[in-house]
Amino acid sequence: MMNLMSLFRWILDLLFSPWLFVPLIFPGLVTVFLVILFIIWFERKLAAKVQLRYGPLYVLKQLGGAIQLVADLLRYLFAEPIIPAETDKLAFVLGPILLFGASCFPTVAIPVSSSFYAIRSDISLLVALGLLAFGPAITLIIGWASNNKFSLIGGLREGYITMAYEIPLFISALSMAALYGTMDLIEMVESQVGWKWGLLLNPLAAITFLILALMSTSRFPFEIVEAESEIVMGPFTEYSGILYGLTMGASYVKFYVLCLLFSIMFLGGWKPVPSFLSWDPIGPALVLLLKSLILMVLGVFMRAVYPRYRIDQALKIGWHMILPLSIGSVFLSLGLILLGVVP
Amino acid sequence: MSEERTMELLIGPQHPSSGHMRLYAEVDGDIVVRLKPNIGYVHRTVEKLAETKKYIQIIPLVERPSLADAANHNLGYVLALEKLLGIEAPPRAQYLRTILAEMNRIHSHFYGLGIHGIMLGSSTIFMWGFADREIMIEMAQRLTGARLTYSYIIPGGVRRDLPQGFEEEMEKALRYIERRLKDYGKLFLRNPVTRARLEGVGVLRKEDAIKLGIVGPNLRASGVPYDVRKVQPYCAYPELEFDVAVREEGDSMARVLVRVEEIRQSMRIIRQALKQIPDGPILSENYLKMIPPKWKEFMETKGRVKFPAIMANLRPPKGEAISRVEAARGELVYYIISDGTTSPYRFRMVTPSFRNVVLFEHLIRECRVADIPAIYGSMDYFPPEADR
Repeated sequence: MMNLMSLFRWILDLLFSPWLFVPLIFPGLVTVFLVILFIIWFERKLAAKVQLRYGPLYVLKQLGGAIQLVADLLRYLFAEPIIPAETDKLAFVLGPILLFGASCFPTVAIPVSSSFYAIRSDISLLVALGLLAFGPAITLIIGWASNNKFSLIGGLREGYITMAYEIPLFISALSMAALYGTMDLIEMVESQVGWKWGLLLNPLAAITFLILALMSTSRFPFEIVEAESEIVMGPFTEYSGILYGLTMGASYVKFYVLCLLFSIMFLGGWKPVPSFLSWDPIGPALVLLLKSLILMVLGVFMRAVYPRYRIDQALKIGWHMILPLSIGSVFLSLGLILLGVVP
Repeated sequence: MSEERTMELLIGPQHPSSGHMRLYAEVDGDIVVRLKPNIGYVHRTVEKLAETKKYIQIIPLVERPSLADAANHNLGYVLALEKLLGIEAPPRAQYLRTILAEMNRIHSHFYGLGIHGIMLGSSTIFMWGFADREIMIEMAQRLTGARLTYSYIIPGGVRRDLPQGFEEEMEKALRYIERRLKDYGKLFLRNPVTRARLEGVGVLRKEDAIKLGIVGPNLRASGVPYDVRKVQPYCAYPELEFDVAVREEGDSMARVLVRVEEIRQSMRIIRQALKQIPDGPILSENYLKMIPPKWKEFMETKGRVKFPAIMANLRPPKGEAISRVEAARGELVYYIISDGTTSPYRFRMVTPSFRNVVLFEHLIRECRVADIPAIYGSMDYFPPEADR
């Protein structure tokens, strides 16, 4: 009996050791899947509400079709992934897997609370953003490997739009680093004491970061890479079965990671932790997750409101509007430091 | 070959937004250098089939090419046939025809708006358009008994009288549509993204529109106030007041706004028609006297027409007749040559979509790949209607 208890204890300890908990449970793989499950269902439900219909309903009717995506995933798993003859097979098959993986990587750099993290680094913000930047390159490869004109156009669109959002995204993130005087995500949260959330201190950076997050993950109105009525499914036109499922999930994962970063940089991260939930790491993790989910809901709601921009208009917004604004946010941060609002 | 700069992009017929047709697009980077429509995928030989059918059987046939606009197609054919037969429908039937035609116009414009929405990426407008078109389908069902292909208009009249309480139901429906149009304005027509996508895109100049023979809302959006309902009034239109929606810009946005304005005008027409509708028979006196007294009694109590036996073998005298009506997508022309038998010798229908197909080549040029669906949707082009 004692042996069993100690075994149980050992497994629990192992599971709750940061280097396993972070990549595997929160914010890593398990939470990623739960978030995808929830947000795609909620997106469809929300859009359905606006569009005068029910949305997913019949899979687990008591909960309003909440596990619709499990059914979809099962269908994807058992559908034949058709690999067209003229494709670059290795790149074609590995592409979606790498894309999904690359979207999940950055979660390792994200701390769960001040004392609970997988890796502590002075530059964890840069690590997270840098790891995120792998995705577009893989999308480009997919677009080329598919040997389809629509895929090619979609891949090129991804390339162009990456240039337009990646630079301002880094600049607005770095403006917050300048404001807090650190690139360590934990210290960033620690600096946001009381009302001094990043959102209130530097709203310019927050707005640009949020818009760029929408842009980088093909959310409306920037759903340009996969624009269905123009280029079918963009780079992912030739995919079917679970490989397509992965490409679709990847953009949601990326959005989730960006929302986590946004919550940490602008919304006080895991603070304030309610007193009845102070058990580290569960309490802070829930607070962080809740903030990110609210942001994600906001992001996916755009689908019900906006049509999509043209690629040239999106590029213009990226280069002509967001880039100057994000540079402005750097100066705003510097001004705040000079005025002594932040220590 | 090494000097080739452009890529040929085949859009359709298996493409989410191509419709039943194929577009050959020659693209240079993101710029469409040339676009050629390849039509005929849903050609159903309506004209040739009509030569083998009896006159009354052609009514359901001409409705098929354009489901959303069946009443106008039906009306156009029957007007031509009535010219051949030398009969005219009584005033009450004329009003009922007008009401159904305008209901179909609303239905068709909502349909077009929804399709355009999904082409621009707005799934909300797609769902709204297809939900709100249901109102007019439901009202048409109350009037005619069918949801889409009514075959309501027959030579010499219509098949059913107004059902009880139709006026109040219609008023409710129209008020609902008015409310909805405000929502459309907020969410779609004044949406900055929509405006960025449509304003100044695919501009059709006035001279070009006239030269190319464009018809319908596409023509009126370029500043030509040409509407068959005003130019050559038919049915009850001369007695009804309405404006022709015209805009000067000629771009995709103008084409959409003209349609929205036409929905408003159609509602005005329906309201007036329901108020002014005269009492009387719904079938021409020529046919009414052929119906046995027992059936006549049934007709008067139920408000439904029993076909007189002669309708099965209508034999118009030798000659030819042409009719034109303003269908939802533009001017619709029917031309019938009769050789005195029970089937037409030659039957010709010129649909508005067929006359507008030339716009593909003219408008989608020197624009971006993303503009192809934006302009396509704004034209409200309907492949089955063009292919017949």
